[in-house]
Amino acid sequence: MLELKNVSKTYKNGVNALHDVNLRIEQGEFVYIIGPTGSGKSTLIKLLDGEEVPTKGVVDVLGINVGKLRHSKVPKYRRNIGVVFQDFRLLERKTVFENIAFAMEVLNEPSRVIRKRVRQVMNLVGLDDKGNAFPAELSGGQQQRVAIARAIANKPKILIADEPTGNLDPGKSDEIMMLLEKINREEGTTILMVTHDTVLVNKHRKRTLVLEAGYLVADMVEGGYFSHE
Amino acid sequence: MSKFFRRIGRYFREGFWGVVRHFAMAISSASAVTITLTLISIFLMFSFNLDQFTREIEGTVQVSATLNYDCDSEDETRIRSAILNIAGVDKVTYKTSDEEFDYFVQMYDADGKAGLREIYADQHPMHAAYYINVTSDADLKYIAEEVGKIEGIYETSYGGEGAVLLMDALDSVRYGGLILVGALSALAIFLISNTIKLTIYARNKEIAIMRAVGASNADIRFPFVIEGILIGILGSLIPVGLTIFGYIYLYQLLGGVLLTQMWPLIPAHPFVLYLAAILVIAGVSVGLVGSFFSVTKYLRWKR
Ligand SMILES: Nc1ncnc2c1ncn2[C@@H]1O[C@H](COP(=O)(O)OP(=O)(O)O)[C@@H](O)[C@H]1O
Ligand SMILES: [Mg+2]
Repeated sequence: MLELKNVSKTYKNGVNALHDVNLRIEQGEFVYIIGPTGSGKSTLIKLLDGEEVPTKGVVDVLGINVGKLRHSKVPKYRRNIGVVFQDFRLLERKTVFENIAFAMEVLNEPSRVIRKRVRQVMNLVGLDDKGNAFPAELSGGQQQRVAIARAIANKPKILIADEPTGNLDPGKSDEIMMLLEKINREEGTTILMVTHDTVLVNKHRKRTLVLEAGYLVADMVEGGYFSHE
Repeated sequence: MSKFFRRIGRYFREGFWGVVRHFAMAISSASAVTITLTLISIFLMFSFNLDQFTREIEGTVQVSATLNYDCDSEDETRIRSAILNIAGVDKVTYKTSDEEFDYFVQMYDADGKAGLREIYADQHPMHAAYYINVTSDADLKYIAEEVGKIEGIYETSYGGEGAVLLMDALDSVRYGGLILVGALSALAIFLISNTIKLTIYARNKEIAIMRAVGASNADIRFPFVIEGILIGILGSLIPVGLTIFGYIYLYQLLGGVLLTQMWPLIPAHPFVLYLAAILVIAGVSVGLVGSFFSVTKYLRWKR
């Protein structure tokens, strides 16, 4: 469902962020992307969600050549992909319910459908009773749950999480991991998770892609990460 | 279809809340619109009335040319086409010498007391004449001179030059006003686009989320455009009120004329309603232009 063929990315300033990357991910997989800072993890994500175009090669997602997508077609394509960030990116002046509903409102869904789905995802992420709370009243782990709920509200085929546990302590990180596994299982969502957290990667073993200086240096189907250093 | 209405409904709701949330900023841009539209309104009242006066005066401004006694009908035709060839001539009317005499008698001896008609019963000294209507930008003096050069013309004269000069002066005032109004509109557009930029800046997180979940550019842009339009409408409220009530009041105060009977003002109804409509449309356009472009600049996909 997702394939990169000989993909290279050179930014306008001359930085070579990715070199000749080849990979294939099937529907329903859960994949880690790991590597040191500056190794090209975020670039890979931006190529997948259509924010950046590859300099060389083909990025194919759900049969769509993402790099060749016309500007006007990018928004529609984006609906296939949910994104979660390290810093949550919630709207402080909206409640939990409103934050999640917002993602559906801007796609002009009927409010009846929105209410139903928001309750469903709030239940899925375990925040049934927090609908009227504001983000500032929640812990970091709970805020990330809201962000995840928002990212899956529109039922994307792929969920991309860029260091979702980067700001959380190990206990909370573990909970977020289990939540993502549950979403992967229950909603059938393909999940790509960028992370620095080797403890997490070794504990919840999954297919792991390793990037270093823009090269895909390892693709370990059985998971687990061992530093070369 | 219902999706279409939900979408439009959301644009208006979000646009409305945008104004409410950034009320101080909205009011400051709206006041720029208010000042601009008030001046536009004054300009339009002046301009439309000036047009009306000009038309009124044009009827009275004429060059008259009398013909030599010995002109025959062939000469008359030749002279007519020669006159029509002069730049600025709109229309010529021929009056026979008898018609001229009748007019003369009418003017000076309408009641017949002086007995003019009897005195000149056999032979009157009137010439046949051409009355020449000129276009609004014509040079009266030049036309009179050119007509005078034509073979068979006895004498030329023209009237209303003072009025024409006054019109010319008012016309330059109008051009000055037009430039001022243009500059002010540009300023108002600039201020609205600034407000919208600040709103967008304040909401860039929201926009980033909208993008991330795949909202189309139109879905992101139009709430801001509606916000701009609402600011424009807000700014047009006071000018519309001032225009309607101000013009009606002035019209009544002046008795429907400016200084003399020669310059009748345009009747208040439905003139003020046209003006009001123009002002609202101008306010909406300023808001639309100001917001549309500032959003477009911020929403362009960078890739
Ligand atoms: N928009 C950009 N313009 C120029 N260089 C960039 C841009 N984004 C990332 N880079 C560079 O590309 C390289 C890879 O960055 P990134 O993909 O963000 O790595 P990671 O997410 O693994 O830390 C880095 O050297 C970074 O400085
Ligand atoms: Mg990164």
